[in-house]
Amino acid sequence: MTVKPIAAPSVAQASVQKRIVAYRAQRIAFRTFGWVLLAAILLIALFPVYFMTITAFHPPTLATARVPTLFTTHPTLKAFRDLIHQYPYMTWMRNTVLVSVCSTILSVSFATFAAYSLSRLRYPGRQVFSNAVFLVYLFPSTLLFIPIFIVCKDLHLLDKLPALVAVYLTFSIPFSVYLLKAYFLSIPRELEDAALVDGATRWESMTKIIMPLATPGIAVACIYSFTLAWNEYLYAFTLLSNSNNFTLAPGLTKLIFGDVFLWGMIMAGGLLMSIPLLVLYFAAQRFIVAGLAAGAVKG
Amino acid sequence: MATRTVAARQAVPEPQRAQRVRVNRDTRFAYALLFPTVFLILLLVGFPFLRALWLSFHKKLLGAQDAPWIGLGNYSSLIHDTAFWASVKNTMIFTGGSIACKLLLGLTVALILNEALPLRALWRSIVLLPYAMPTLVSVLVWKWMYNDVGGVFNYLLQKSTIRETPTLWLADPSKAMGAVIAVNVWRGFPFFVITILAGLQAVPQELYDAAKVDGAGVWSRFIKVTLPGITPVLAVVTLFSTILTFNDFSIIWILTRGGPGGATDVLSTLTYKIAIPGLELGKGVAVSVLMLPILVAFIILLNRFMNQREEIA
Repeated sequence: MTVKPIAAPSVAQASVQKRIVAYRAQRIAFRTFGWVLLAAILLIALFPVYFMTITAFHPPTLATARVPTLFTTHPTLKAFRDLIHQYPYMTWMRNTVLVSVCSTILSVSFATFAAYSLSRLRYPGRQVFSNAVFLVYLFPSTLLFIPIFIVCKDLHLLDKLPALVAVYLTFSIPFSVYLLKAYFLSIPRELEDAALVDGATRWESMTKIIMPLATPGIAVACIYSFTLAWNEYLYAFTLLSNSNNFTLAPGLTKLIFGDVFLWGMIMAGGLLMSIPLLVLYFAAQRFIVAGLAAGAVKG
Repeated sequence: MATRTVAARQAVPEPQRAQRVRVNRDTRFAYALLFPTVFLILLLVGFPFLRALWLSFHKKLLGAQDAPWIGLGNYSSLIHDTAFWASVKNTMIFTGGSIACKLLLGLTVALILNEALPLRALWRSIVLLPYAMPTLVSVLVWKWMYNDVGGVFNYLLQKSTIRETPTLWLADPSKAMGAVIAVNVWRGFPFFVITILAGLQAVPQELYDAAKVDGAGVWSRFIKVTLPGITPVLAVVTLFSTILTFNDFSIIWILTRGGPGGATDVLSTLTYKIAIPGLELGKGVAVSVLMLPILVAFIILLNRFMNQREEIA
């Protein structure tokens, strides 16, 4: 081994100085670049939402004019009124709320039990069930919608909202199980062991200890199940045909006539459809972010 | 797995029968809790899936009562159909293009938001906005922005005299795919941002400090500390999004219906077109069955990643 020659102190100091300057310059460059990029991305994220809102409040002539108005000086509720008077928009809204709430309640209750079972108890076949649930969660609805359509047709369940609720369980149960399982695993086992030693039954320890602790996780599962049902398009579009049974997603596409789009009403309807989700998201953002992170980061 | 069970059994001391009773009772309880979910999945997914496989071997027309067995007829007619192969290619371009953009954009934004910026929570909320909007609504807004008459993109381009005539974003075969991918990226990148951000926050600060002491610059810290630290998260989020993008139906259906002239037809829209407007239910199902192997491979891979992480955590 040779000993490295030591440079004279003054030279070393100069080089350190130089490196510090270079380092700072690099940092400032990165910072500026970052801010510009962030501004651009925020603009891109916000603009469509802004444009939807502006179009919804336009007087109807402006919404179909050749020149899009990026500001509105005469906001009006005409598009909303037309939508509610000329189309069964409120019925679509009610149907969507009903379907989303029912499928959320059912899926999260079943999923809570299943997730507890898969995360807290050991028994033969557990891993198989766990993997199967995951597989089903990501199973393509494009494959299932045709047989489901045929079965519903044969059983005269087309155009029936309860059938739609049942179909929505195909994705919201596996999704909730998967999400809650991750959440339950993060709750220390010792808490439950203590209760069991004290003579609590499994049922008691599940309902009185684990479930209260898992409230944030259950909330996230509810929000997601609700969102999935609220957004769902393919099944609603194929299984419902009578306009009075529509949910909002197929309802909004009802405002498209071939090449003619009633943009003002579509944007008004879209805005009304977005509001519940936006409120939900921003009220529960902390949970949502944690849920997303737990979902993909921790599994 | 097997060794673990054996070990668990041995861990139960022989005389404590009460404990064994409890284990048995727990097992029964576990199955009881699982029962509704398993029952519903078998009924609502398992049965339709078998029905789908059955259909793909039959010539089932929409509205017809009988469905004669035609063996691999549906599959062979698809394999000789250029529209099928075009949609396979389109699916790959759509999925690959979307994922690459989402990953790049998501990583960049996550890195920016990971810095100690003022009002960081506000910026994060805004970035989450596209994700919080109902898919259908955002797709309709984009369709409106792409419009040739009164659409905002064409208006801005014409106003700034970059172009004289309106660009037909969705009706021009050479632009439609890009336009469709842009919408998918807009909608999906917040998912990448939030998950990658969570991954970034899990990288230990000591590693950065050590790298700094060693004189590593911003770039080399990113390559040597950040990237290895978040690779598992990147893998999971990419696979996840790949599966969901691969299956996506509504974005393309609303924007272009697979058009113009099949330029954006992916496997999911082709399934729908063959089955419902085309009335050939059996053949439509066969399209989806053919895309299944790739999808299941992705799902198994993802599941393996997630289980690994679970064991570590």
